[in-house]
Amino acid sequence: MTDPSSQTLPGTLEAVGRLRDYVAKRAKAAGLTGKAIYNLCLAIDEIATNVVLHGYQEAGRTGMLRIGTALDDDRFTVTLEDEGAPFDPTRYALPTAEDLARPLEERAVGGLGIFLAIRGVDTLQYESSPGINRHVFVVKRPSPQEPHGWSTPVA
Amino acid sequence: MAFKMSSEVSGHVVSMALVGELDATSAGVFKSEVDKALGQAPRSLVLEVKDLTFMASAGLRVLIYAKQKLGAGVSLYVVAPQEAILSTLRMTGFDKSVYIVDQRPPVESDAGRPA
Repeated sequence: MTDPSSQTLPGTLEAVGRLRDYVAKRAKAAGLTGKAIYNLCLAIDEIATNVVLHGYQEAGRTGMLRIGTALDDDRFTVTLEDEGAPFDPTRYALPTAEDLARPLEERAVGGLGIFLAIRGVDTLQYESSPGINRHVFVVKRPSPQEPHGWSTPVA
Repeated sequence: MAFKMSSEVSGHVVSMALVGELDATSAGVFKSEVDKALGQAPRSLVLEVKDLTFMASAGLRVLIYAKQKLGAGVSLYVVAPQEAILSTLRMTGFDKSVYIVDQRPPVESDAGRPA
């Protein structure tokens, strides 16, 4: 694994846009496509927003958001850590195909964010230990041997 | 990029132009513009989004709110979304409840088709 880096920001909504910018920059350097970068940033945004609104504000807590990225040959990994109330998005009941086929007038407003987060990456993992919650987002990288691959590998 | 928006009323149509990044921070601005639009009792709400570069679920929730407040008889148009936002609208089934179009509809076509 190469290129580990991280940034720590306050656990506020204002920080979420900065997390997106940070991840977009690192993901671009890792050779991800525009679409993969957008979807990853959307996933980070949704989870970080939930952490701020529910893990911190609703729970009456304050704390940080720490974002880290790491590069392997075949994957780009983003780790988001927080100190808020634990919540495991991977155990959340996602909207079903039936829910998503309903007209907007009949929709419940919740659940779309976690749905977009999980759909936005190849893997979303969650772990919680006392005082720290960790979300791990993994996106597969295009193989350096593929189309534009004769240039120097990014890693 | 910061979020900016503007609204205009023309006959029974309220049009809004959304620019930049629509996330949980900026969704409140969008929602208050929708609240103002409700007072106009529009027959259509037209969202011009060609310069909207990011939309999180907070933006989708405002669309749900708008549709629920306006009622099924009021048409909601999303004009010229960028590819990634179009993909979100499709993935979440919003494309079945809003009209996704390349160009803003002519003012005359505001008769309010059922969704």
